Amino acid sequence: MPQLIKVRPTKIELVKLKRRLFLARRVQKIVKDRLSILTMEFLQTARDAVEAQIKLLDGSSRLYKAVSIAGGYHGYIAMERELIASEADLKVAVGSRNIAGVRIPSFELTGNPEKFEMMRYSLVDTSSWLDHAALLSKECLRAIVELAELQRDFELLAMEINRTKRITNALEYVIIPGLQATINYLSMKFEERDREEKARLKRVKVLIALE
Amino acid sequence: MPLLVQERQGKLQVKQSPYESMLQECLRGELRLVNTGLPQSQKRLMDLLSEEHPHVVCNDGSTHFFKKNELEYLASVLDTDEQRTLLLPMLIELGANQAEAAIICEAQVEEKVISEALNMPVKCEEGRIRIYKPQLALLRKKLKTTTVYVFSPKIVA
Repeated sequence: MPQLIKVRPTKIELVKLKRRLFLARRVQKIVKDRLSILTMEFLQTARDAVEAQIKLLDGSSRLYKAVSIAGGYHGYIAMERELIASEADLKVAVGSRNIAGVRIPSFELTGNPEKFEMMRYSLVDTSSWLDHAALLSKECLRAIVELAELQRDFELLAMEINRTKRITNALEYVIIPGLQATINYLSMKFEERDREEKARLKRVKVLIALE
Repeated sequence: MPLLVQERQGKLQVKQSPYESMLQECLRGELRLVNTGLPQSQKRLMDLLSEEHPHVVCNDGSTHFFKKNELEYLASVLDTDEQRTLLLPMLIELGANQAEAAIICEAQVEEKVISEALNMPVKCEEGRIRIYKPQLALLRKKLKTTTVYVFSPKIVA
């Protein structure tokens, strides 16, 4: 049962309440549209995050195998000596983008994928096993950055959906029903008052006719 | 909604109840919030491709970054002349009909991009390409950063 708003039972208050109801419905429309878009984006992000996670796990397992084989082939000490030269700073471009009012971060691993920045070791002294491991490690790094972005999107979108849902529910279950109930109550009260007035006038008319 | 209008010193003074002010502020806030991500101006694909960190400045002063792989995908779909014509980010307008969305387009190039992304023919009518929600999800999956949502004021009318 919606709670009635405490107002004076006057026609002015009824007009005010009708305006409030109109406004509340407009707000509800915007909030609902936004919620549907946010939900769609959230589901898409969830799917992408799962895909990225699978990709990362798969890539990591292949990388581990490739490094083990390369280590076995060259010997770990020799491989480590070669790989010291290939150490490079990773550059991640951090920006932001906006999805229906939610500002979410955007990460991108910079550098040309065609250039093999991680392959600065001697290609003569090493085998193709190490090249394979280097390529896989690059793929894994990309997957990590992608997953980091998606996880953060996921959290931010979820928080915004919760906030928007609270507003939608407040409008749908508290504000609008309360306004509607009060408007109905006032309308009925005025109709009742009109009927009483009519009955009174009729009675007065009969009394005058009798005299 | 104005409840009481008084003329004071030749200026109109509008008085509102606190409840209505709160609701109106909520409406304004929501509209402001959903449209903060709109770019101040769109950039051509050709220009963005030459930038080191391709981005546009939004209405609230923040920056909207584009993913390079998305730009490269668009460049692969379009020829050089079309790359000069395509303005990014593309605007997706959400209207009164909840089942549909419209992509605002000025040239035929958007039509080509959308039909390539969705893998189906689309038609531009009155400056809008109308697509359904499932297609919108597909489009957003492919063009995450090169499209932005616009909540049109028409939806509140």
